[in-house]
Amino acid sequence: MEALLGGFATVFQPMTLLYCFIGVFLGTVVGILPGLGPLTTIAILLPITFKMDVTSAIIMLSGIYYGVAYGGTITSVLMRIPGEASSIVTCLDGYEMARKGRAGAALGIAALGSFFAGTVGVIAVSFLSPPLASAVLAFGPAEYTMVMLAGLALVTYFSSGSRFKALLMVGFGLLLGCIGSDPLAMTPRLTFGVFHLSGGVDLVPLAIGLFGISEVLSMALQKPENLKVLAPPSRLLGFLPSRTEARRSVGPVARGTVLGFLVGLLPGGGAVLSTFLSYAVERKLSRHPEEFGRGAVEGLAGPESANNAATAGAFVPLLCMGIPANAITALLLGAFMIHGVAPGPTILERQPELFWGVVASMYIGNVMLLILNLPLVGLFVKILEVPRAYLAPLILIICMIGVYSTNSAAADVLLAALFGVVGYVLRRYGYDLGLVILSYVLGAIFERSARQALAISDGDLSIFASSPLCIAFAVITAVLLAVALIPRRRLPVPALQPPA
Amino acid sequence: MSIGGARWTALGLLAAALAALWQALKLSRWGFDGPGPGLFPQALGAVCAVLALAVLLAPASDDDAQAEGGGVERYGSAPPAQRHTFHVYLIALALLVAGTFWAGFVVTAFVVVVLMMRFGEGVGWLRSLGFAAACTALGLVCFGWLLRVSLPTGWVDRAIYAMLR
Repeated sequence: MEALLGGFATVFQPMTLLYCFIGVFLGTVVGILPGLGPLTTIAILLPITFKMDVTSAIIMLSGIYYGVAYGGTITSVLMRIPGEASSIVTCLDGYEMARKGRAGAALGIAALGSFFAGTVGVIAVSFLSPPLASAVLAFGPAEYTMVMLAGLALVTYFSSGSRFKALLMVGFGLLLGCIGSDPLAMTPRLTFGVFHLSGGVDLVPLAIGLFGISEVLSMALQKPENLKVLAPPSRLLGFLPSRTEARRSVGPVARGTVLGFLVGLLPGGGAVLSTFLSYAVERKLSRHPEEFGRGAVEGLAGPESANNAATAGAFVPLLCMGIPANAITALLLGAFMIHGVAPGPTILERQPELFWGVVASMYIGNVMLLILNLPLVGLFVKILEVPRAYLAPLILIICMIGVYSTNSAAADVLLAALFGVVGYVLRRYGYDLGLVILSYVLGAIFERSARQALAISDGDLSIFASSPLCIAFAVITAVLLAVALIPRRRLPVPALQPPA
Repeated sequence: MSIGGARWTALGLLAAALAALWQALKLSRWGFDGPGPGLFPQALGAVCAVLALAVLLAPASDDDAQAEGGGVERYGSAPPAQRHTFHVYLIALALLVAGTFWAGFVVTAFVVVVLMMRFGEGVGWLRSLGFAAACTALGLVCFGWLLRVSLPTGWVDRAIYAMLR
């Protein structure tokens, strides 16, 4: 408790508070803009945080991550356009409620449910992290290798599209991480004789290329559309749900919070999966399943809570084990590493002010988001009116500044442009680029642990089955990879129909 | 896989994996003190080559068809106007890279923004020039001056810095 109060003291410093606000504000804006996701935004802003102190940088980037879930709701409810993948399910019942004149109630339920779930999620992070960190301290290199292998298998299992493609992206992410000097022998690897590659491929050009520049190229092919926005309430009281709506929301919010948090803990789980699961659970439990897709309060409240709780849950493996649960937390891990901090079980001992500062900022950030989201809905919707003609050049220039500033190297800009074109092609053909970033960030830790384990055992592979924990993770990995090759059954979620 | 582009993409990935494997095979797998620098890249290169071959040869599944596109607009189905914009954006990207090497921030940012807005999006000259100037100024002031971020430097940038000093 004392440590958490110390974290609040860190966050309540004016500059840290300002960065927290900038993070959640940007997160909301990014959540509203379809296409421009948190991954792109964090990738673009990553180099700008180099000059900031590590706590402020992580607080701002984390704010973007959890702020997105709030922002995506606004366009889903008022326009039936999911600003983010985690808001797709909200379109189904949120927009229908808005069409029936309950736009304010839908936004209010979503915001209050999100606030509740986000806050409970953060409380769970505060209490779960210390014991988990202590448990992880007992891990040796073999256990760490197997945990990461199981994590990568789980991420592959949860990815959309072909599992072969997913595995291939994991492999290429790990290969990209091998480029440059070998960390132990300092031998150049996979450089193809290119001097600039001897230092390795940096995270910033890779992430900005794959997400920022490929997004700009994708934007060029989009037809400009006339957006139709349902009017949000002009008064604050208009956001309050009726007594019946409030009563119907309580159960789904509670269930969504628990489910979302648990799904968020899993590698590859994340906010998107949690919303679909929550929607399926609520429809199964409902006495009126026929109302789903026609403005059911439960279909809005459950998933909206689940995606916020999942976002908080994803911080547990990141902070306590140094293992990201998804591509966004992989970028956050990259940000930690760039600032010379290795998240993991020892972070609570070595940098408690950083750990508890980030946790405390999530409490504050959730309050900020609640205050931002309801009264400023009208203002946020206006952001969608910014035409592509202005947005695309601005993003490209910021990408260039971000990439160049990392090493003051023009070659990095060339690398980012190449990754941008490759990223566009790969996305176009259904390859999940999030997996590349995730495995790229994990690659170095994974290889180090595996090589340490093999050095200890003098090359004997049985070290990876030397403890019950290793065997458990090996079985999980094997089962997931085997199941990954069997065609999956999709969750029974109705498809989005064009608005009437 | 009925689409030519999908097959070409898989083929490209296979070539990349084989190239990585060829490079990795030059490295030692085992050293006097344990695993060598080649162990991990060799294993990964081989696995990637096998997976790329599987993607290349496997027929497209329903999952593939649903995931294909991944929220990205298709070049083939885009109307001519959007394709024109796409081509201009690609030229702008090439100019951005070349400009970073040789022209510095001010010239590159200004030219790229004007190119994208005027020739890619059909925005009027006045607005394009005005927005390009605003973007360039924003980059110089916010990033170069306030955030102390290093920007590419050319003769125009040096002239501006000299004037400000």
